[in-house]
Amino acid sequence: MHRTRPLDHAILILGALFLMLPVIIAFTTSTHTAAEIHSGGLTLVPGNNFAETYGTVLTQKGGFTGQVTGARMLMNSMILGLGFALGKIAFSMLAAYGLVYFRSRYATLLFWIIFTTLLLPLEVRIVPSFQVMADLGLINTYPGLIVPLLASATGTFYFRQFFKSVPDELLEAARIDGAGPVKFFFDILVPLSRTMIAAMFIIMFVYGWNQYLWPMLMTTDEGMFTLMRGIKSILQVWVGSQIPEYNQAFALAVLAMVPPVAVVVIFQRWFIKGLTESDK
Amino acid sequence: MAEISDTSVIGGRFRRKPRAAAAPAEPAKRVQFDRPLLPWVFLAPQLLVVAIFFYWPSVQAVTSSFYIEDPFGFGATFVGLENYADALTSSEYHRVARFTAIFTVAVTALSLGLGLLLAVKADAVIRGASSYKTLLIAVYAIAPPVAGLIGMMFFDMHIGPFVTAASWVGWDMQVGIDYFDTAFAMIAVAVWKQIPYNFIFFLSGLQSVPVPVREAAVIDCRSGWRRFRTVTLPLLAPTAFFLLIINITYALFDTFGIIDVMLKDKPANNPVTLVYKVYNDGFRGNDIGGSSAQSVILMAVVFALTLVQFRFLEKRIHYS
Amino acid sequence: MIRKATVSAIALIATLASATADDATQIQWWHGMGGKNQEVINEISKRFNAAQSACALTPVSKGTYEEALASGIAAFRSGEQPNILQVFDAGAATIMNAPGATIPAEDLIKNAGYDFDREAFINGVRYFYADADGKFVGMPFNSSAPIMYTNTEAFEKAGVAPPETWEEFEEIAPKLKEAGYIPMTASQLTWMFFENFFSRNNIQMATNGNGYDSVEGTEINATDPNLVMMFEKLKEWHDEGLFGFYGAGWSDNQAPFEQNKVAMWIGSSGSFGGLQQTAEMPFSATFLPYWDGIEGAGTNSFIGGAALYAMAGHDEAQDKCTADFFQFLTSPDVQVFWHEETGYVPITNAAYEQAKAEGWYEQKPVAEVGIQQLSLPGGEWSKGYRLGFYPQIRSVEEREFNRIFSGETSVQDAFETIKEEGDALLARFAKTSG
Repeated sequence: MHRTRPLDHAILILGALFLMLPVIIAFTTSTHTAAEIHSGGLTLVPGNNFAETYGTVLTQKGGFTGQVTGARMLMNSMILGLGFALGKIAFSMLAAYGLVYFRSRYATLLFWIIFTTLLLPLEVRIVPSFQVMADLGLINTYPGLIVPLLASATGTFYFRQFFKSVPDELLEAARIDGAGPVKFFFDILVPLSRTMIAAMFIIMFVYGWNQYLWPMLMTTDEGMFTLMRGIKSILQVWVGSQIPEYNQAFALAVLAMVPPVAVVVIFQRWFIKGLTESDK
Repeated sequence: MAEISDTSVIGGRFRRKPRAAAAPAEPAKRVQFDRPLLPWVFLAPQLLVVAIFFYWPSVQAVTSSFYIEDPFGFGATFVGLENYADALTSSEYHRVARFTAIFTVAVTALSLGLGLLLAVKADAVIRGASSYKTLLIAVYAIAPPVAGLIGMMFFDMHIGPFVTAASWVGWDMQVGIDYFDTAFAMIAVAVWKQIPYNFIFFLSGLQSVPVPVREAAVIDCRSGWRRFRTVTLPLLAPTAFFLLIINITYALFDTFGIIDVMLKDKPANNPVTLVYKVYNDGFRGNDIGGSSAQSVILMAVVFALTLVQFRFLEKRIHYS
Repeated sequence: MIRKATVSAIALIATLASATADDATQIQWWHGMGGKNQEVINEISKRFNAAQSACALTPVSKGTYEEALASGIAAFRSGEQPNILQVFDAGAATIMNAPGATIPAEDLIKNAGYDFDREAFINGVRYFYADADGKFVGMPFNSSAPIMYTNTEAFEKAGVAPPETWEEFEEIAPKLKEAGYIPMTASQLTWMFFENFFSRNNIQMATNGNGYDSVEGTEINATDPNLVMMFEKLKEWHDEGLFGFYGAGWSDNQAPFEQNKVAMWIGSSGSFGGLQQTAEMPFSATFLPYWDGIEGAGTNSFIGGAALYAMAGHDEAQDKCTADFFQFLTSPDVQVFWHEETGYVPITNAAYEQAKAEGWYEQKPVAEVGIQQLSLPGGEWSKGYRLGFYPQIRSVEEREFNRIFSGETSVQDAFETIKEEGDALLARFAKTSG
């Protein structure tokens, strides 16, 4: 159908280079020793310190209690990412269903009540949010890490868009078959949204995984630290007056990238398919 | 639950939308359930979370904005609108607001534009299409602080390769000192991080254009650009509208992590966005009243902006 | 080597002890340190836990100094505050003007049945964290002084000696430049050239006795002609290539010194430990210069770094543990360990004497420069300052300093802006106490 032109490829290659090169360099740099990076800067040539640096980062017991290993932080980040993604999908799907499929004079109002949450990010209401969490006794708990992040409209917004594009005939057909709202939701809409759910899962997992300010405020127990917090504390050393462990900073950065990148790359077919269906 | 899912009872409770709707807003669907209580059940979890973790703290923020408060909560002076007046008359605040506007427009336009360009090209090529896709999508997953970390290294004035590259063309780049250079670096990193997101959505938008439509378009419009403008773009409109909102929120709010890391804890004379200023004054500077007033202003502006978008843009878009 | 072995033996015992000490009173210490300093903090905490069994201390890093203070405040407002909070020098007014938030260290220690001798502390720390009556509110902990590190090679090449005054600097700087070096860089100008310009040259920094007497109507002396002159000079030196400025980031200004490109770098006495590992050339250190032309100049510098505050609202057993820990922390052994591991100065005379007796300064003369500078004769205006919202005022200073060196503003205009915005912030702060 299309004639492939060299220009298209050139643009794509440039784009891919622009996007990927920094990541590749971050990786190759992390395989050098801290001293080499300190004097030589960033480099594309892989070093031979890979095993040592990553071994250290993953297993070294840091912190006071010795619970802060890279592996432990990885696990906490995973819990945060998974918990957030699943919670978000469940809550926002239900909410979007309630908004789209029911006749209610409050629908617009309710949509705006939820949508407004996009307008004020957690960073700017972080102190009162912390107080609320403390009042509820959720500090240093996984729910405390996850639940406040759920108070945002993105997921509801996505599913609303998706449901709006689902053909009305489906509901009419369901009516003829005598299906009620709950049955329609679970038996027809949820299976229909499978790929959309997969896409949402990826987006939300990445979002949850990438949180850093909130986990830092919320956790005082070293066993609860996430990878992003680990990176932040290495950065602090870097911007402070102490010797930066450049190699470990980059190794942690790479580690922090691997799971979400893997999720995205592995599920990318679903990802695009899911979003495709929503925009039909 | 058993009662609700009793299909024989509910079977008849569908209702076609009357031609002249009494409801003020257009219902989301032509056909809807007509059960007054059930939507509340579905909405309850989301509303509960939003009420507790969004509105409760937000109401506190609004209240605080009328006080100058001791950080530890021992004393407070009611000052009426003084916090607002202070913010709105401060030249520094104007500077930050101006930069925020420029930053938001630049980041949104560049990342939407480049994302769309790459998506159109990736949709057009056949050979290597999937490798391109993988490469272009992967960066999506990178956390803002990590993006900031990488950006900071690349623009580092002592070891940064971009700084070296800039010096070849006679640009003495001083990120962290020179306002313009720092702004350039921040926008570059923020765009870099957001392109994949837009790419994914545009690509899926393009790929959902049915084959017959495409074929018809090829026959009707010989010029690729005209075809893009008259056929592809309108079909992408819902995606673009959605992405516009998401990108504006991204540029305003989610770039916080990038900016925070790239500033290395010292904003100094460097460009910052309004969100960063709220955070810096309130969380790090302990001025709760002043920063609350700023966040209320910010919220009002963004709310107005979004309202305008919904009013004027969403109406022109046809879903399905 | 021997010390290392002892340390790890103690650490081992500590780990065993803390594993079994479940019924001990638990106390928490939030701090804003990372990297090596954090490791030493952990080590000290382990030693404390090993030394007794009634209390179990857990140190927690809460990010940077600012983030630690903000977390502590957020926690206090919610009743979740730690027992001990580390607050940096610029945040001192914030916590000390909220009397209900803390128990003055002196009261806490006396209530626990210990003696408290103000005279035991070195001169430089005695006033900074104390109230107007001289009572210790904060417990001095990591204390540092801004000192000037000198690149031995550069001075040999240029055939000059490190300057004591800025007048001398003007004489020798061109020679260092000829020898192929950037004569000087400095990190954190706010600390080096603003706050400590006032202390080293004995000039009043703010009205109301540098802010100690009252928060009402305090104004900052940012348009002092001498201060403006200092920055006119810095700008001039910068334009002539005698002073390198790389922005507000600390390490950006330190790095070229480490790489042997710079002859003098003004940093913290606490930078010493790191520099030993990263500097590519031999180096020494001397006091932060002052202006010979200013009458009465050459006084000691303000103490920098941070202090520990005992947060209010805990039960008696926990407060007793906090007091025990403060006692432990000020013991000469612990102080010397902290001093030698991190480069921060010892805060008690006894610890200083012990470090001397151990011959530490014969091995590392640079390590003594900070404490010597703090022990210089004090002047009326070198004791300290107590300014509310000072972290934000520092941000204003940083912003304006960057503008000076990027040519966006003139020195005079910059300092007028600092005064205007600084005074407005101080006036706002006066209202916070309601």
